[in-house]
Amino acid sequence: MSLTTNSRNSLHLSNDQIDDALLGDMAPEADRHLAACELCAARLAEARMPIDSFRTVTLAWSERRSATLPLQEFKMSAGPLRSAAGKRQPIWASAVAVLLALAVAVPVLRHETRLNGDESSQVPVAVSTPVADQSASDDQISRDNQMLSAIDRDLAASTESPAALGLKPVRSHISNQPANPSIQD
Amino acid sequence: MQLALDATMTNVQGAVRTGSELDDIDALVRTYRPRLLRFVTFSIGDQDLAESITQDCFLKAYNGRGNFRGDCSVSTWLTSIALNLIRDQQRLQKFRFWRQARATAIDITDAASFLPSNESSPEAKILVREKAQQVQAALENLSTNQRTVFMMRFLEDMELSEIAAATKMPLNTVKTHLHRALKSVRAQVGTNL
Repeated sequence: MSLTTNSRNSLHLSNDQIDDALLGDMAPEADRHLAACELCAARLAEARMPIDSFRTVTLAWSERRSATLPLQEFKMSAGPLRSAAGKRQPIWASAVAVLLALAVAVPVLRHETRLNGDESSQVPVAVSTPVADQSASDDQISRDNQMLSAIDRDLAASTESPAALGLKPVRSHISNQPANPSIQD
Repeated sequence: MQLALDATMTNVQGAVRTGSELDDIDALVRTYRPRLLRFVTFSIGDQDLAESITQDCFLKAYNGRGNFRGDCSVSTWLTSIALNLIRDQQRLQKFRFWRQARATAIDITDAASFLPSNESSPEAKILVREKAQQVQAALENLSTNQRTVFMMRFLEDMELSEIAAATKMPLNTVKTHLHRALKSVRAQVGTNL
């Protein structure tokens, strides 16, 4: 890339060449010029300044921000990764934990059962319960039947026939007899 | 032949050194988190999401440290992993990604208050802050690819070939994106002379 002519009719770096210099991708000719030209060096420094400012400010911010973040999260999260077993370790740990819980829970439950009273005294209660339930349900059924019968009797006594109300008797739709004999004929 | 052997030895030594570096996740996080967090934060514009992605990046790197061959720096390797995670996130959130993230974007004014208090004058600090704000605003107007390559080059100091490898783009495409990004940033910042 050739050098460009500026307003003072001297050869200097173009804006694209300044960009190349910022990117570290300069042609040798431009690089030589930059080393010898104070004006272009100043232009490059001026172009670099905002980016360097951004870089400095943001690094200062992220350093401060990072310092406030805990390392502990990483330790806890990375803990299982430290072992050679890798991801399988938590599964084994869970299995061991379940076994330990069962080993502790079963004796405790048995001990509590003994403390609640004589096991033999509880068995008849448990056995007799269905019998008692059965007799109770029979009594209930009997009472229900009696109540339904009484209701039927009351309904039969109070029912007025359609004829008494001036209505014709209603034939059932499922009767075998035709509703209108004339049509049948 | 001797040169090739030396080069191999150098690579092996580098791989061993960086390999052991990757084994200590605490040291890894302490050393590289600031730069990685910066890259992710200013790539996506969302601070909370950036922290989450950065953490995922370290875990992924630690988990896959056996795959690190030592043919690039750890920083470049981490940045490549971060870029893949960012792209995964972009695929997940699609159109919502950048536009919605801008609502929770970090304030560079706040960031500028963290400038180290060296011998620079208050005026110089104000100028630095203003220029940084302008660049940040300019970055938001770049395409995703342009922003990515710009940050890889100017924040992460990655070589053009490393950027091409990380982004899986041809070298000339990387150069094109970089030139367009730079031209756009310089136009908005006002350093086109």
